[in-house]
Amino acid sequence: MNKLGRGHRDKVHQFMTITGTSEKAAYQALKASDWHLEGAFDAFYSQPQPKSYTDARRLEDLYNRYKDAYADMIMADGITLLCSDILVDHQDIVMLVLSWHMKAATMCEFSKQEFIGGLQSLGVDSIEKLREKIPFMRSELKDDQKFREIYNFAFGWAKEKGQKSLALDTAIGMWQLLFAEKHWPLVDHWCQFLQARHNKAISRDTWSQLLEFAKTVDPQLSNYDVDGAWPYLIDEFVEYLIENGIIQNGQLSDWTQKH
Amino acid sequence: MNSSNQKKRNFQIEAFKHKVVVDPKYADKTWKILEHAITEIYNHNASGLSFEELYRNAYNMVLHKFGEKLYSGLVGTMTLHLQEMAKTIEAAQGNLFLEELNRKWNDHNKALQMIRDILMYMDRTFIPSNRKTPVHELGLNLWRDNVIHSSKIQTRLLDTLLELIQKERTGEIINRGLMRNIIKMLMDLGSSVYQEDFEKHFLEVSADFYRAESQDFIECCDCGDYLKKAERRLNEEIERVSLYLDSKSETKITNVVEKEMIASHMLRLVHMDNSGLVNMLIDDKYEDLGRMYNLFRRVPNGLPTIRDVMTSHLRETGKQLVTDAEKLKDPVEFVQCLLNEKDKYDKIINLAFSNDKTFQNALNSSFEYFINLNPRSPEFISLFVDEKLRKGLKGVSEEDVETILDKVMMLFRYLQEKDVFEKYYKQHLAKRLLSGKTVSDDAERSLIVKLKTECGYQFTSKLEGMFTDMKTSQDTMQGFYAAYAAELGDSPTLVVQVLTTGSWPTQPSITCNLPAEMSALCEKFRSYYLGTHTGRRLSWQTNMGTADLKAIFGKGQKHELNVSTYQMCVLMLFNSADRLSYKEIEQATEIPSSDLRRCLQSLACVKGKNVLRKEPMSKDIGEEDAFFVNDKFASKFYKVKIGTVVAQKESEPEKQETRQRVEEDRKPQIEAAIVRIMKSRRVLDHNNIIAEVTKQLQSRFLANPGEIKKRIESLIERDFLERDSSDRRLYRYLA
Repeated sequence: MNKLGRGHRDKVHQFMTITGTSEKAAYQALKASDWHLEGAFDAFYSQPQPKSYTDARRLEDLYNRYKDAYADMIMADGITLLCSDILVDHQDIVMLVLSWHMKAATMCEFSKQEFIGGLQSLGVDSIEKLREKIPFMRSELKDDQKFREIYNFAFGWAKEKGQKSLALDTAIGMWQLLFAEKHWPLVDHWCQFLQARHNKAISRDTWSQLLEFAKTVDPQLSNYDVDGAWPYLIDEFVEYLIENGIIQNGQLSDWTQKH
Repeated sequence: MNSSNQKKRNFQIEAFKHKVVVDPKYADKTWKILEHAITEIYNHNASGLSFEELYRNAYNMVLHKFGEKLYSGLVGTMTLHLQEMAKTIEAAQGNLFLEELNRKWNDHNKALQMIRDILMYMDRTFIPSNRKTPVHELGLNLWRDNVIHSSKIQTRLLDTLLELIQKERTGEIINRGLMRNIIKMLMDLGSSVYQEDFEKHFLEVSADFYRAESQDFIECCDCGDYLKKAERRLNEEIERVSLYLDSKSETKITNVVEKEMIASHMLRLVHMDNSGLVNMLIDDKYEDLGRMYNLFRRVPNGLPTIRDVMTSHLRETGKQLVTDAEKLKDPVEFVQCLLNEKDKYDKIINLAFSNDKTFQNALNSSFEYFINLNPRSPEFISLFVDEKLRKGLKGVSEEDVETILDKVMMLFRYLQEKDVFEKYYKQHLAKRLLSGKTVSDDAERSLIVKLKTECGYQFTSKLEGMFTDMKTSQDTMQGFYAAYAAELGDSPTLVVQVLTTGSWPTQPSITCNLPAEMSALCEKFRSYYLGTHTGRRLSWQTNMGTADLKAIFGKGQKHELNVSTYQMCVLMLFNSADRLSYKEIEQATEIPSSDLRRCLQSLACVKGKNVLRKEPMSKDIGEEDAFFVNDKFASKFYKVKIGTVVAQKESEPEKQETRQRVEEDRKPQIEAAIVRIMKSRRVLDHNNIIAEVTKQLQSRFLANPGEIKKRIESLIERDFLERDSSDRRLYRYLA
């Protein structure tokens, strides 16, 4: 390793930071991809995670640490404790990623199966190991495919049990959170529009189609196709943008709207 | 003689051993005879000749192999004679030129015939085997080359002919027989001669002539007159051809006239101020229109031009009609105007445009266009029908009734929003049935049948349900009175119509307090009915009933008042009170306030119907107003009609409400269509679903693509459909 040039050493360091792997693994991955960082990341993420050995006993203990006093699940208090243990704010998006790994049915609670299953799939069985996994989990948001999965998962997770649609306030909160990771210039306008014009819950179809919209249609709406089978709400959004002069002649003007 | 010496002799035919002495000058001599004969023939001296001798001479020449000499001799002689004839013709002065030509042509033909007869043998033997031109044809060719195409004749002939035609065109009389002969001569000489030497130039000159003439006409004539002139010229040319030109020229010359007189000026004619097509349409100028149609159909794009102008005019007038605020005040008038317009154009197309289908179609599409510009058209058409069925058709014969209903159906077909019409029709029908105000049951039924034929069973099943309810109610009433006959002797007569919810237009059912006599009676009916029909629920629709009251006023005037149920409730109160305030009436009757106000207005504020007196005498009903029976009430009729449950044009808020209900009704229809389509197609892309759904619903209304989209999303929500995972524009049916 000492024989590595400055540039290469930096790359190894970067790789390790982002993926959370060991120096050796980082070196091997980079070498295999001819010292191209992008290529190394691609290759790394497309591999299944090495199944590390997790101790069932320790997982059981861990669960019991967070489990609620009265119910056989982890509830709000337990989650707060978990967050402070791994040094993560409970509103941090990484908690969403963690929930996704656990395939949690609903936010603010984990069943025993979800908790243990999630940690197992991550290959961790202790607080320290979980803490170490955090950079990796953050990095997953950078992957297109995984982001989409997490995004779509978020809908089911964030909505009320037994409801078909997602309450508007919650949806807006989630969107703010998610699109902070994957920058979409129109997200604020979208949320404003919903509050001004829609004021109803968000359907699953609208939720998932919004991501497609953000990904395929450019913020100037130059390639927006009015016959593009977008949900009605999104069509209304486009109208709203044009009506209010936010998009003029294909230009996204400065947002100084007064409503 | 010894018989044995006789030799047997066979007949033997031996060739002529003697040489026939042919006079070397034989051919010359013979030819000279024939040559002389030809000259005599041309000099009209044929009578002295012997046909038989000449024939024999010609025959011998050919036989003795002098055919060539004979033929070339013929050519030479004939040429000479023709050249002489040409000189004579050339010398003719002025008018005599053609006559001379004609005469000489006849002479030549006669001569040619005789010559051909004489030379028949050569014509049949020598000529074909030596591939020479037959005599008759030769004669024509020589005539052509030496006379017609002679430099002094060719041009002069053409000029003369064209000059004569020009004269005739400007109204002079010419010798048509002579023309015919000359032209026939050219035709006989071969079609190329006719065409090159005459027809070609004739067409050119005609084109120039008509170009100039049409230019003159169009500056000074109005459209109708111009067309008359054009028609006249066209007919002239056709006549000219039939009289003295080759029939094959007819199409060519008519094309020239059509092009110069019609095609070149088509647009200017059609759009001429004060006399063009639009004016003709407005003024019903059938003859002019017919003429225009017949002339224009001859030129390319002629009829489409007429059709387009008619269409845009029709659309414009129609648009004005349906947006004219004045007309819109009276729905019946409005619809009548539409019908009048349709009749007008039907007549025009029938009389002037020979029922041309494409014009019919243009008419239909125009009507469809502007009728739907006004969203109230469905309502108004229903009101028109209502008026007719309530009173308009009184005394009208059955046939005429059918005619009017058929015309209404025709307007109905133009409507895009047929479901809106259905809604209004139902409302209006309900009112008619319940107030007993229909002129003819047969007419009502007839219209239902027509609607059913047009739109299918579903459209009319509820309407038919309404009729059934009316009939059933009659039977029920009979049963009721039969059962309670004894008890009801003194009670007021009750007539109940039992309506099946679902068939009748939905109304909010607000009850009011009926007078004691009535409520008791109603209760008896209710128990009777529920006794025979268990499991049903009855609710009194007091806002739809009527009553007949016998009243005696202060001065003893007796009247029978026909009023609404609400009005009855109010009036009956005055049997036990002289003065009642608005509030007291409201409390006692519990009639909703807006209805109560209207009711009191109709009883107290309308001249001739003011059975009540109000203090103060203002038009509006105030909370503090007081009411009295109007003892001074007077009417020349015994029966006074005050109640109004008659169909009227809706007010703004009512209209909004109806429109909203229609929109709501459309949603399940759209969804049903989507499900139907997806069930059979399984997978379909967005644009195709929109197109198919629109098509399926076309017969009822025009589906809004935005609304269809919303329904699709709703169906996705409810797990009927899903988006395809790879192509987001594709939808998949979920079983």
